[in-house]
Amino acid sequence: MEALGLNLPFLLVQIVNLLIVYTVVAKWVVGPVGKMLEQRRETIAQGMEDARVAGEARANAEEEAAKIKAEAQAEASQIVSDATERARSAGAEVKSAAEAEAATAKDKALAGIEAERNQMLGDLRGQVAALAIAGAQKLVGEALDEKKQHALLNDFFAGVKDGSVIVLADADLSGDSAEVTSALPLTDAEQVTVKKDVLAKSGAEAVSFLVDPSILGGLVIKVGDKVMDGSVAGKLEGLRANMR
Amino acid sequence: MSEQKPKNKVWARWVVLGAILLGAFLFTGFFGIGLNIKPIMPEVFLPGEVLSDKPLFGIEGFFMTNTFVGMIGADIAVFLIALGVYRGVKSGKMALSGVSGAVEALLEALQNMTEGTAGKWTKVIFPWFATITLLVLSANWLGLLPGVETIGLIHEGHGEYAVRDLGSIGGMKIQTIWDESGEEAHMEEASTDAHAEETHAEEDAHHAGASVVPFFRPVSTDLNFTFALALVAVVMVQVVGFRALGWSYLTKFWNTKHFFDKPIFGFIDFGVGLLELVSELSKVLSFAFRLFGNLFAGAVLIFVMGSLVPFFVPAMFYMLELFVGMIQAIVFGMLTMTFMAQATQSHGDHDEAHA
Amino acid sequence: MEFSVEAATILGKLIGAGLAMIGAIGAGAGIGIVTSGAVQAMGRNPDAAGNIQTNMILGIAFAEAVAIYCLVVALLILFVVG
Repeated sequence: MEALGLNLPFLLVQIVNLLIVYTVVAKWVVGPVGKMLEQRRETIAQGMEDARVAGEARANAEEEAAKIKAEAQAEASQIVSDATERARSAGAEVKSAAEAEAATAKDKALAGIEAERNQMLGDLRGQVAALAIAGAQKLVGEALDEKKQHALLNDFFAGVKDGSVIVLADADLSGDSAEVTSALPLTDAEQVTVKKDVLAKSGAEAVSFLVDPSILGGLVIKVGDKVMDGSVAGKLEGLRANMR
Repeated sequence: MSEQKPKNKVWARWVVLGAILLGAFLFTGFFGIGLNIKPIMPEVFLPGEVLSDKPLFGIEGFFMTNTFVGMIGADIAVFLIALGVYRGVKSGKMALSGVSGAVEALLEALQNMTEGTAGKWTKVIFPWFATITLLVLSANWLGLLPGVETIGLIHEGHGEYAVRDLGSIGGMKIQTIWDESGEEAHMEEASTDAHAEETHAEEDAHHAGASVVPFFRPVSTDLNFTFALALVAVVMVQVVGFRALGWSYLTKFWNTKHFFDKPIFGFIDFGVGLLELVSELSKVLSFAFRLFGNLFAGAVLIFVMGSLVPFFVPAMFYMLELFVGMIQAIVFGMLTMTFMAQATQSHGDHDEAHA
Repeated sequence: MEFSVEAATILGKLIGAGLAMIGAIGAGAGIGIVTSGAVQAMGRNPDAAGNIQTNMILGIAFAEAVAIYCLVVALLILFVVG
């Protein structure tokens, strides 16, 4: 062993020396450096964590912003659609109101026109009757009882004789509604007469009166799908057909 | 910066070329202008050479050797590193700079390695790893400094070279040994890095021959150092094993667990346990001689190469020795760490694999 | 040079030490095989490089132990025996 340089005192010195170095290194190098490494690792981890949190916060903020934006957009579009709807309904209301007003105005105007026309026609009827009587007196040469004449004319125009409608004398009618057309407007008394008669004969529930000067005289009564032509024009037409 | 770099390169290139030319001038007779100094091969001693005849501290057989000086040098280096690292860490910086920064980087790498192998026992094992690596590394690299193993005492009457006076400083004679076997060769102590070396001498007797006993020799080339390291490492492996497993650690060596219920495998296990005991002893031997063999062979290699081709070529071997010195330091530490980590692991799994 | 016991002893020592170091061949081949396997393993699975490296160095240490025993024997022959 001596030749290899091994001797016990030096070996022991080396062992002691190694233990001293171990103590120094463990206390002054490994401890502080380990602590520093740990600290650095923690700092890095902390930094990473911070970055992660910041990133999350940013993502959240972005999400929030997107949500707010979407909400704002939805609200805006809601407002717009509301406004449009309101405008449309307001317009429709205005329009319908205007239309209704226009309709009533038109109705009123039409009624006024109708009434005026009837009035005029009624006035005309008196004059026509007087002229006809006068013409007939000249032709016949005899003066007719004026009262009788009037009755005749009235019969002519109204197709009503002795309180009953001539056309309906022997007709068989049935229907829900009746329509009475005369050449000139009927007087109220005549209307009542005609109405009563028509109702009794036909069993209809309502009667409407129309004026059509082209039938010249008499009445055309339409009940259901049946038409009773008691008009002067119809009679003349029948006469003409017979003469041919 | 980009301008600085090529400039540095050019500068380094001229230095290398100049060193080669200087070496050629000193050691060859090339072109008839060289000094043609003949390189010498120093004597190789296995034990540390004794510097003084008086025993140190009055202990019998314990002399002041040049490896003892090397040990003190390595200790001082480690203490300086420790001081630098300690002060650097205390200053509160996040990262160290300079030498302590390099040490810190090394330690970090070693610690990661330890954590990967030893797991929760890192705190116990790592200080040993760090201590061994740092101490062996300083010891190895100190041996590469110029002047180490070349400056020392002239040992008269033992050797084959003549002694020449160079002058004196403060009453101390400066001498060198010469190889006069050739014609007019002026030879100095073999210098592996093409530097002329002086040799301090206190004796001036003119004997037939002389040799140099260097003041400083790396402690890794002393078996006492490597055996001390190996013994402590292997003992600490057992200590760590005991700390981790308690008394059941001993079943690794005296394994009678399956001796009776499974006679054949039980007997094999028992034999394996005894072999483990032998392998612990052989660990001491292989630890000690691995480090010693590598470093001693490295020193001899540099001697031999220096004596064969005294310039340029030794520089390559210096680089190799730099590498070997670091590798051996890390390997010594890492093997200690691995053995410790193995000692902390229970051998239960091992038994089940056999059964 | 004439024959002497000392010279024969020295001769025997030197030859013996040289022969003892032949055993290093095995260690060299072993280290090469271990390293080759480890490098291949690292190339195939770079993630496990740290673990492989540790085991590689362990294996190299065991292979090298043989060479170290040779060295011990050689040193014993050269410096201790006789």
